[in-house]
Amino acid sequence: MSMASRDEVRAKMAESLQHPVKKLQDDAILTDWVTDSMILVNMVIDLQEDFGIRLVQEDLKDVKTVGQLLAVFERKMSG
Amino acid sequence: MVNKLTENELWILSFYRTSEISGALFFGRLARSMKPGLIQRDMTKHFSDESQHAWYWTSCVQRFGTLPLKLSHAYQDKYLEAAGMPANLMEVLAITQTFEKRVIAQYALHSRVPDLKPEILETFNKIMEDEKWHIEWVGEALKRMEPEYGKSYIQDTLKRYWKADKKIYGEVLKEHEDRVKDLLRYRQRTA
Ligand SMILES: [Fe+2]
Ligand SMILES: [Fe+2]
Repeated sequence: MSMASRDEVRAKMAESLQHPVKKLQDDAILTDWVTDSMILVNMVIDLQEDFGIRLVQEDLKDVKTVGQLLAVFERKMSG
Repeated sequence: MVNKLTENELWILSFYRTSEISGALFFGRLARSMKPGLIQRDMTKHFSDESQHAWYWTSCVQRFGTLPLKLSHAYQDKYLEAAGMPANLMEVLAITQTFEKRVIAQYALHSRVPDLKPEILETFNKIMEDEKWHIEWVGEALKRMEPEYGKSYIQDTLKRYWKADKKIYGEVLKEHEDRVKDLLRYRQRTA
């Protein structure tokens, strides 16, 4: 995935969470940005629909930060 | 004179309302994310139904001359904690299927309680038809997903969520024992 598409995913993430994209730095903790975990579930589904990939629970097991989630998408999109 | 709700009745109807609102918000957001297709259509209807149900409970409570309580909405979070966050659309539908079946069972149980106030029974009857359709469309969507996800992955996911559901339901009943003891007493008698 190129730099541009990593930022594309980040932008989509910001849109889904309704947060300014500049606050979604790589080290930002995902759960800090949501009031309930359903919003996080929705964001992950939203991204999959947009980028046409599919994740399984295993992929998300160790994901805590924005950067880690971006890395998962990076891996899936290049694979 | 207006018939009054007991404190426990008010609490449980408020709980139902809160839970319907959480469902509506969840499906509303999801429906907005869906690409054009059957799931997009059915999820939008599902969202609309759950919103309607929240209103039915609100107006049901109001018919007794009072208003619903503001309750914590942590139930869904507990669900995710126990079952793990669904990672894809199939898993979301699987957890939905589990949750909807639980709702139907709970509403069916409650609607059989003797001397139930007619306004409450009327509300259950109105909601029940929609709830049956929720299970139906989600079941069909899961079936259509079999070629993509694999039948056994879907079955395993459903099983995992069933297990989590049992655990959470038991915990919630325990936590609110005093509130639901009348219901429980009836459940034990008819079991
Ligand atoms: Fe409902
Ligand atoms: Fe429902």
